[in-house]
Amino acid sequence: MIEPFEMDCKEKQTYLLNELNSLTNFHYKQCKPYRNMIDKSGQTTVAGSIEEIPYLPVQLFKLMDLYSINEDYVFKVLTSSGTTGQQVSKIYLDKETAAAQTKALVSLMKPLLGTKRLPMIIIDTKNVLKDRKSFSARGAGILGFSNFGRRPFYVLNEDMSVDWEGLTTFLEQHKGEKLLLFGFTFMIWKYFYQEAVKKGIHLDLGDSILIHGGGWKKLKEEAVSNEIYKGSLQSQFGMGSIHNYYGMVEQVGSIFAECSHGHLHTPIYADVLIRDQITFKPLPIGEQGLIQVLSVLPKSYPGHSLLTEDLGTIHGEDDCPCGWKGKYFSVAGRIPKAEIRGCSDTFAFDQKGENQS
Amino acid sequence: MKFFWPNQSKNWKETIESIITAKPLSPFHPEVLSFLQSISKAILKDHSYRRYPELVALAYWLRKAHLSEMQESYVKKAGERMVLARGTALHFAPSNVDTIFVYSWVLSMLAGNSNILRISGRKQEQTELLLRAIINGLEDYPEVASRTAILTYEHNNETTQYLSERCHIRVIWGGDETVKAIRSIPLAPLATELAFPDRFSLSVLEAGAVLNADDHEFNGLIKNFYNDGFWFAQMACSSPRLIVWTGEEKSIESAQDRFWTQLNSYLDEHLEEYSPALQVQKLTTGYSLSDKESVVNFLHLPNFSRLKVNNIDLDIRERHCGGGLFVELDLPQLYDLIPFLDDKDQTLSYFGFTKSQLMEFAEGVGNRSIDRIVPIGQALDFEGIWDGYDLLMHFTREIVIR
Repeated sequence: MIEPFEMDCKEKQTYLLNELNSLTNFHYKQCKPYRNMIDKSGQTTVAGSIEEIPYLPVQLFKLMDLYSINEDYVFKVLTSSGTTGQQVSKIYLDKETAAAQTKALVSLMKPLLGTKRLPMIIIDTKNVLKDRKSFSARGAGILGFSNFGRRPFYVLNEDMSVDWEGLTTFLEQHKGEKLLLFGFTFMIWKYFYQEAVKKGIHLDLGDSILIHGGGWKKLKEEAVSNEIYKGSLQSQFGMGSIHNYYGMVEQVGSIFAECSHGHLHTPIYADVLIRDQITFKPLPIGEQGLIQVLSVLPKSYPGHSLLTEDLGTIHGEDDCPCGWKGKYFSVAGRIPKAEIRGCSDTFAFDQKGENQS
Repeated sequence: MKFFWPNQSKNWKETIESIITAKPLSPFHPEVLSFLQSISKAILKDHSYRRYPELVALAYWLRKAHLSEMQESYVKKAGERMVLARGTALHFAPSNVDTIFVYSWVLSMLAGNSNILRISGRKQEQTELLLRAIINGLEDYPEVASRTAILTYEHNNETTQYLSERCHIRVIWGGDETVKAIRSIPLAPLATELAFPDRFSLSVLEAGAVLNADDHEFNGLIKNFYNDGFWFAQMACSSPRLIVWTGEEKSIESAQDRFWTQLNSYLDEHLEEYSPALQVQKLTTGYSLSDKESVVNFLHLPNFSRLKVNNIDLDIRERHCGGGLFVELDLPQLYDLIPFLDDKDQTLSYFGFTKSQLMEFAEGVGNRSIDRIVPIGQALDFEGIWDGYDLLMHFTREIVIR
């Protein structure tokens, strides 16, 4: 297994370019819609640099069923989380891609979690995993991270209330042990942290580690920054460290984990580029723009190079004081939604109509 | 329920009731005319409106000279006949072509009707500026003020039904789904309705004319096309989205080259409002449409995107996202466009055709398509005749006296 944060820039770029070019080529051959997009936009499948690799807007997976495998080999379908009525991304996985995702995730979490499986608390409900063939982003995340823990304990009941009693029993059983806690940024805040505050419950979790992801949109509305988040949770629960990660259902496995210095890092399996919001031209280190994510994992669907709607900034490469190699960056949030200016939209009647039906 | 006008409303049903029971004014009532002129003046002299060319265009439309023109043409049409207001008009405005509700209201007001306007609750600077001018104006014109309600409410069927049962004409500007939803709510038996659903619009350019245009004429074309295609982020129903080129293959190619190159430099200088989300959406739409057989190629540039097709169906029309995405179709002649037209197609703006060519073309159209044929540069101009209706005539009723 390749170490996720040890290869330096030069070597990594050669490695990635090769892998990504061969993926472009593979999807070009196997996925007709992808071939049409490349051909009709006059692009080629052989890129001379990472910047030249064709990229698809991530929301294309909401509009189209894109896969590069025979339908019979579809092993799982992942869907993005979306509010009711919204279109969701559909990501088709075969066994090979799913296995590669798990393997990559295990290797890139190792520097944070070590090799020993830790007793695990999942700050979510068991319900999310009911359907084993089709997974929401939440389900996929939980399933992926369950590999790191022993006998995971789900701290939320079906109605999203906290199972305080179960938690106390679990903590007694594992007194003095390092625990792994996992959950989604906003859910942890709303259903676990705020409940604990309300009830005046303080925990002392020792050198336990919390891993969380899923985005900051709702917390931003409540003006909760990463610093506030970390500080609040630590003072309430007393865990040793808290690490955010950036990742998406369209590229499961190659997530970007936060190091001890609070930076998101690109592992060997993945890369990020920042593009100008208007021209899509690549931007240098230090400038904010749209995040493009690249991953060597997606083989069953053409998702190896995606333009997101998230804004971010790369702060440096290979020289983060934490010691991990790779680009390190931060995410600033999502670009504002396109304002629909047209006769075709009357006072959100359409949306309301959807909710009613 | 929130009222923008009247200012104070204790019980909204009482307010509505008082508007409905007010006696309609006579068509082109002097107080209505001076109220409209006052709004025109207020907009034209205040610098804060300059940023919004659509508001300035509205102010010009409301100038005294133009109102007199409309009145003359109305008097001519009405002749000796007894034509009166219908009563109370209920308008549902689209949320984002900010000025449409005013056009609809103004024509109804000129007809003499009392008006209830349901506008979008979404906050937008253009709309707020416009409302400010209107509310200031209403304070000085009691006859108009007492016959007007401007309001917004979270959509609900009961309120819509309450209002629909009480109006004499209902006007719906909106998407197809909105039109369907509101139409399912019954009107009073005597009332009538005008609906303006989703439409699609196109431009036709004759390649030879584009190539032969002298600099002055050509630069005018570019500027006009920019106004038509880029205001309202290309999302108005009359914004051109399909660009049809006619002529021989070779000259079409050179004409396109000349046109898009010049437009690109014009946009570099003039396009101020870029939306990152729309940029991404254009790329997404272009890629997703690239999977269609009818799509020949897709060129995405920062200023605009071009999608060349050899056929256009309803799917392409409906998936169009605006923001400067142009579908292009090459044809030998204008007449060859006819089989490609859909009922949805509304405004055809043109460059390089004679009136007789356009008449011949219009006569050849066999379906419900095409309601306006205007020179490029006038696509967005609002007219009293819209989607085939003479609005003033529909806002009135005739009393037969023998």
